[in-house]
This record gives sequence, structure tokens and C-alpha cells, in this order.
Amino acid sequence: MTKVITTLVVFLTTVLTVNAQQYEQGMGKAFATWKTGNATEASALFERIASVEKTNWLPNYYVALVNTTEAFNPANAKNATALINKAQTALDAAELISPNNAEILIMQAMINTALIVQDPMTNGMKLSAPTIELYERALKLAPENPRAVFGKADFEIGGAQYWGTDTKPMCEQVAKSIELFAKFKPETEFHPTWGLDRAQETLKNCGK
Amino acid sequence: MKTIITFLILFISSFGISQTKISGKVVDEKNNPIAGANIYIDGTYDGATSNEIGEFTFSTSEKGNKILVISFLTYETLKTTIEIETYQNKTFKLKESINTLDEVVINAGTFEAGDKAKNTVLKPLDIVTTAGSNGDIVSALQTLPGTQTVGESGRLFVRGGEADETQTYVDGIRVAQPFGSTTQNLPTRGRFSPFLFSGISFSTGGYSAEYGEALSSVLLLNTTDMATENKTDISFMTVGLGVANTQKWKKSSLTFNTAYIDLAPYQVAIPQNVDWNKAFQSLSGEIVYRYELERGLFKLYTAFDASRFDLNQESINSVVKTRVDLKNNNLYVNASYKGNFGSNWQLTTGLSYGLGNNKIGLDNQRIENTEHASHLKLKIKKPISDRIKLSFGADYFITKFDEKYSFITNQTGYNSNILAGYTEADIFFSKKLAMKVGVRAVNNDLLNETSISPRTSLAYKVSKSSQFSVAYGEFEQAPRQDYLKFTSDFKNERASHYILNYQFSKDKRTFRSEIYFKDYNDLVKYDTQIAQYNSNFNNNGFGFAKGLDIFWRDNKSIKNLEYWVSYSYIDTKRDYRNYEAEVTPSFVAKNNFSIVTKYWINDWKSSVGLSYSFNSGRPYDNPNEMSFMNGKTKSYNNVSMSWAYLLSQQKILFISISNVLGTQNVFGYDYANSPDSNGVFQRNEIIPTADRFFFVGFFWTISDNKKDNQLDNL
Repeated sequence: MTKVITTLVVFLTTVLTVNAQQYEQGMGKAFATWKTGNATEASALFERIASVEKTNWLPNYYVALVNTTEAFNPANAKNATALINKAQTALDAAELISPNNAEILIMQAMINTALIVQDPMTNGMKLSAPTIELYERALKLAPENPRAVFGKADFEIGGAQYWGTDTKPMCEQVAKSIELFAKFKPETEFHPTWGLDRAQETLKNCGK
Repeated sequence: MKTIITFLILFISSFGISQTKISGKVVDEKNNPIAGANIYIDGTYDGATSNEIGEFTFSTSEKGNKILVISFLTYETLKTTIEIETYQNKTFKLKESINTLDEVVINAGTFEAGDKAKNTVLKPLDIVTTAGSNGDIVSALQTLPGTQTVGESGRLFVRGGEADETQTYVDGIRVAQPFGSTTQNLPTRGRFSPFLFSGISFSTGGYSAEYGEALSSVLLLNTTDMATENKTDISFMTVGLGVANTQKWKKSSLTFNTAYIDLAPYQVAIPQNVDWNKAFQSLSGEIVYRYELERGLFKLYTAFDASRFDLNQESINSVVKTRVDLKNNNLYVNASYKGNFGSNWQLTTGLSYGLGNNKIGLDNQRIENTEHASHLKLKIKKPISDRIKLSFGADYFITKFDEKYSFITNQTGYNSNILAGYTEADIFFSKKLAMKVGVRAVNNDLLNETSISPRTSLAYKVSKSSQFSVAYGEFEQAPRQDYLKFTSDFKNERASHYILNYQFSKDKRTFRSEIYFKDYNDLVKYDTQIAQYNSNFNNNGFGFAKGLDIFWRDNKSIKNLEYWVSYSYIDTKRDYRNYEAEVTPSFVAKNNFSIVTKYWINDWKSSVGLSYSFNSGRPYDNPNEMSFMNGKTKSYNNVSMSWAYLLSQQKILFISISNVLGTQNVFGYDYANSPDSNGVFQRNEIIPTADRFFFVGFFWTISDNKKDNQLDNL
């Protein structure tokens, strides 16, 4: 009897470990692929992982992140709308799995920003206020999240530069976000960690 | 032994058993390979991405029937069940996704202004930043082709149609009294603050079977779905004051907007062509409440408007002026719900109630009229597939109108109930070819008439940026209040529309041209000077309208400059009312031209607008001449300017001047009823109430988000 139980336990843990291993391998491969610059393949890999990991928001989150990042690339101007749509669909799926998630709110703000870049005249007026609100909601949930701090400051710098108002408070926030990046510990190795390089870049040009 | 079995089980479970190779090819509808498509077995890590020639191959340890998913950016995701063991190399065809931007759009006859609309020619902002429009939705629409500038009326005249041939809908529900009350030759304006609407669709013909009781045109206004933030807007204007406030909660939001307008101080400062006893005064407001439900959105829109004026109107028929004073009270309530139920069924329903009351004094005589108008609406929409969408619905219109006179004992009025049902299908044959077919059936119990109106339109995309559309439709409308109040012995008035449209749109430039033919039948005729209780009415009137409308918009060629140009040519004649023959009516100018420009000056943080409109002369009837409606006024010219200066992010100064050049425009002539002692009929010019109109306003927004301002309200 004991043996049967032991066997079963071992069997089950093995299955679970194998799944976990597959997940880790899959995510690892997807990140590696993305690093080589093959965004389509990376997005496809994340999409496949999402089809298995029905209760994990991360794969869908990365489908959104990869496609939004692609939408910002001027080379993809022709497909930008389709990329943004794909990102939005994936993020909606992620939000269903994990509501009130600061990272997902920040990602939504990024998608909004991509829409604004696409058609500033129409979307700028419409989405500016909701985007700020998304960052504020994210900050309420996670005051120490460096991406929320940086994202909001970065978004506000654009407006402030135009109006000739002082960008100093925003730059201070960017600097603060860099400190937070150093302190930030993701829950797992696959949780979002991006943004430090962009924050450093912004700080370099800040106030100039 | 047991250990071995255990080991085997573990081994098998860890490394899988036999692997099956799945391979194939992904192509589009024209058999061109699709590279980069994502192919995988649903719920597994097993999959691949197609290569340059569309081919893919991967291994799986799955068994039995599984779902194979194939997805690619701009194509419809394909899900197909395969049996792993017997799977053979296959070619999969993906259909282009219809939900992408470059699909064909059925747009014959329609101008969209909204952020969601795909064939937008104007943005909501444009409606209100147009120089000379002074925030009036209708006067901005008059810069679009197909409309007539009828300065003495202020309403929408579309393609040879009278003003009351245009029906206005808010969130799909009719507004019975869309314009403020006024007297003869004194222009009115729309009741709606442009700031509450996020989408405006203006159709100059061939519209959907969803809309009835309109011979020429429908104006569809959609209130904003959800407020984005709490804010307060304050406006100080040369003509009055305004306050608006928005409160936002988790699932609901409330916006109210109120304005007090008093033209008295303004009219003291600026000379007027009208002899006012009491200048126009109004207190108006709107409230929008929105509540988000699990699967839908509830909206309540309420508008009220109390206005009055008192003036002495010159008349060619008497030496003494006629004193006209008018008090108007208007209330409009509109409740609507839009949501989903079941699997993908979409429900739109709602009801509206409009109360319009006018107290009019003409010297010592008093007239009072009251209209109660309701509309109940139900619409159901169901996408059968991505390519076929079916909708059907019903309307019930109730109107009760009464008019009392101090000088006649009997009162006039009527009760009318109209029941209508319609059904319509949108069919996308491909990304290039789409069709809309519908039919509307109407029963009017007052006229005791049932009629059926078929409508259809077709659009074909010839290249990535250009398309043709055609539309045909039958339209009916009950005769207007001015006639129905005397008798109900009428039939519906009817019109047929035939439209051919070509649109080219690329890179922030849009060219649109439309030719149309309209056939009018069963128009009301009568045999007296004006329609009155002893007139003999009949439905023997008829007419036609044909013409060409051209629109060009360019936001790209010159940096920071946006402009649009409209030109309309119309040839129309009708024999209706008390006309002696089939002639071009007096509200029609054969040639209409307008250009609207907006230039953004970055260094000044200013948006400067300039617009120019021109009409060729309009016909008028000169009783001194033998032939009917033979006169022609001189042409109409108007240059207007506006300047919006952003003092700071939330403070705006706005200045506008209409008819800068002070052109002396004449809309037409009023002739005396009888000739003078020399046998000549004397006349009066019908002219604008003032040659120029000046407007200065200061707008201040107070909100958490410092980026917001009222620029989009101007």
C-alpha cells in the first residue's frame, strides 16, 4: 500500500515538475527568442504557453508586451493597428485571470500610449486622462513599482515640455524610479522587470 | 518487478511515448504562403511558426482528437479538430480578418464624425472649432456638401429637402423638437451642446431601415459612453455664462451642463437689424447619467430649455410693426440601454419623451401650442458569423399636439401613433465587397396608412484606399405639424433616393464625391396664402432633386494646417404647398461652396480658424412678374474667423467673428399681399439679424488631470 501511495505521489509530482519544467523551458525559450529580435516567434511562443497556462497571467501579459513594443517600432507602422489589437486582446485575457494587477494596468497605459502615438489628434484628447488614471490606479496598488513611477513621469514629461512648464518634478520621479528598479524584486524570474534602461535614458535627457 | 514498473511509468510519463510529426502549409485566400503564422495544438506547448514559404512542422506526443489552432495577425484565427494518429500533411487557408481597418465600409450618403467610426471625415472637435459655427452642431454641418445655408432659418436643409425632412436621434432615439423655437426669418440653433456627444453621424440620404419618419436626412448623435474624470468647466461669454460638472464613480458617472444666455448687453453694444423689445434670453441645461451594468450600459439623457424674446417685426403689409413675443419651454428625456445577452445578441432599447410648449403673442392675439412626443424603441442585433450581421427592431412614435388661439374659439390639434418594424442584414462577401439590405414597414393610425420601404446599399473596394458605394431606398414621412393640425386626411409624403459614391482616403487626405437622384411624391399641396383651417389640402405634390456633392479634406500637405473644402451642385424642382408650377424652391441655391481652415500656431499656442462660404443666388417669387418664382437674389458670401488662445493648459480665450467683411447678404424678399396705388407689389429684404456676430469667451477647466481643457467644446 505504502508503495502504491509513494508511487502515486512520485508520479504526480513528476507530472507537475514536468509541467513546471515545460513552463520554465517555454518561457526561457520565448525570452531568448525575443532577445534575438524575432518578435513574431516570441509572441507565438508566449501565445502557446498561454494556451496551456490558463490560470497564469504572465504569458498573455508578454504577448501584449511584445506586440505593443513592436507597434512602437516605426518599421511596423503598416501593421501597428493589428499589433495593438493583438496586444489588447491578450491583455484583456490576462486581466480576466488577474484583475487589479498593477503590471497589467501599466501595460494598458502602454497600449494607450501606442494608440496616442498612432493618431495624436484623435486619441491624444481622448486617452490622455484615462492613461494618467491607469498609472494612478497602478501606483495605489503598488506604490513602489518602478514601472508605474517611471511610466507616469515619462507620460507627463511630454505635456510639460510642450507647455514649457517645469519638468523637474517628473525628472525627480524618474530618478526615484531608478532607485526603485534597483530595489525591485520580481515574484518569480518571469515576472516583469523591464524598464530600467528606458528610465536611465529619459533621466539622461531630463531637463535639457 | 514493482520497481521496474514504477520506473517505467515515471519514464513514460516524463518523456512521452511516441511522437507524431505534424506538418503542413498555411496560405491566404489567394494561395499565397503566410510566413510567421502560429500553429499549435490547443492546451499544449506543441507547435511551430510557419516559415517563408508558409510551411511548418512539429512533433507532438498527444493522442486522439485535438484542436489545432492557427493564428496570424491580420487573419481570422482558424481552429480545426484533427486526429493526431491519422493526421496527414495539409494546407490551411486563412481568411483575412474583417475586423481590420482597411475593410470596405458602406458609406453612401453618410458623414461620420466620431472616434470609433471607420469612415470618419470629421472629428468631434471639428464640429465645434469651425469658425462661424459658434458651437452649434448644425451650423458646423452646414459646411458639408449636400446642405444648404439658409441663414434666416438656421436648420438643416438637405439636398433639396425642407428643414423638417431631417430627423434627429440621440442614442438612437428620436428628438421631436431638436431646435429652439423662433419666429419667421429669425434663425434658430440646435438645442444640443456639442460637448456631450462623442459621435455624430450625418446622413444626406440612403440611410438604414432603422430610421424612419425622415424624407431627406438623419442626424444621429451619440452621448459619451463613460466620463473619464471628475472635472468642472466654467465659461464666461459675451452672451452669457455656463457651468458644467462631471462626477465619476466606479460604475457610473453624471454630467450636468447648464448655460444662461442673455443677448441684451451684447445687443446694446452691437447694432442690430432687428427691433428688439426684449433680447433673447434662455436658461438651458443637460444632464447625462450613465451606469455600467454587468453586460450593458444604461444612459439617461435629459435636456431642458426655457427661452423667450420679444420684438417688433416689420411687415410689408402694414405700416405698424407687429409685436411678436415668444416663450418656449422644452423638456426632453431619453433613457436607453445597450447591452448583450445570450451568445452575442445585442440589445438596444429605450424611450424618449419630449414636451414642447410655446406661448406666442402677435400684437394682441395669443397662440399657445403644446406638443407631447414619445418614442419607444427596441433593436436586436445578432452576428450570425463574422460576415453576416442581422438586426431587427420596432419603433413606436406617439405624438399629441394642441394649439389654442385667443381669436378663434375652436382649437386645433391631433394625436398620432406610428408603429414601425424593420429588419436588416449586413453581409460581408469579402474584405472588398459588402452589402446592406433592409426593409421597414410603417403603420400610421392617424393617416390610416401602412407602407413598406425597402432599402439597400452596396460597397466595393477597388483599391487599398478607394471604394465605390451605391445606395437605394424608399423613405416616407407623415406631413408636418402645420398641416396635420388642420386635417388628417393625408397620405405619407414619400421620396426615393439613388446614390452613387466614390471615396478616396489615404494618409490623412480624403476625397469624396457623390451623385444622387431623389424623386419626391405625394407632397402636400393647399390652395391658400398660408396653410390654414379653411385650406383645401391634397397629396398631389411632387418634385425631384439631383446633384453632385464633393468633399476634400487634407490634414497633411501643409504642416499644422487642416482644411476641408465642400462643393455642391443641385438641380431641384418641386410643386408643393401653394406653388403654381414645378419650380426650384426659395431655400435652394444651385451652387454651394465652403472652405474651412484651422491653423495651429505652436509659438502662440493658438488655433486660428478661417472659413468662407458662398452660395449662388436663391430664387424668390416676384408677384410683379408673370412667371412664378422667377427672381434670383444676389449671391451669398460669408467669411468668418476664430482664434483660440491657450493661456495655460486649462485656460482658453476664444474669439470669433462671423461675417468679418460685413457683406450685406440678402436671403430673399417678402412681398406685399396686394399692390400699392401704382399697381406695384412692394417688398422687404430678408436679411440677417446683424451683419456681424462677435463672440468672446473665457473657458476654464478645473480637474485633477492638468492636461484637460475645453478646447474640444469650442
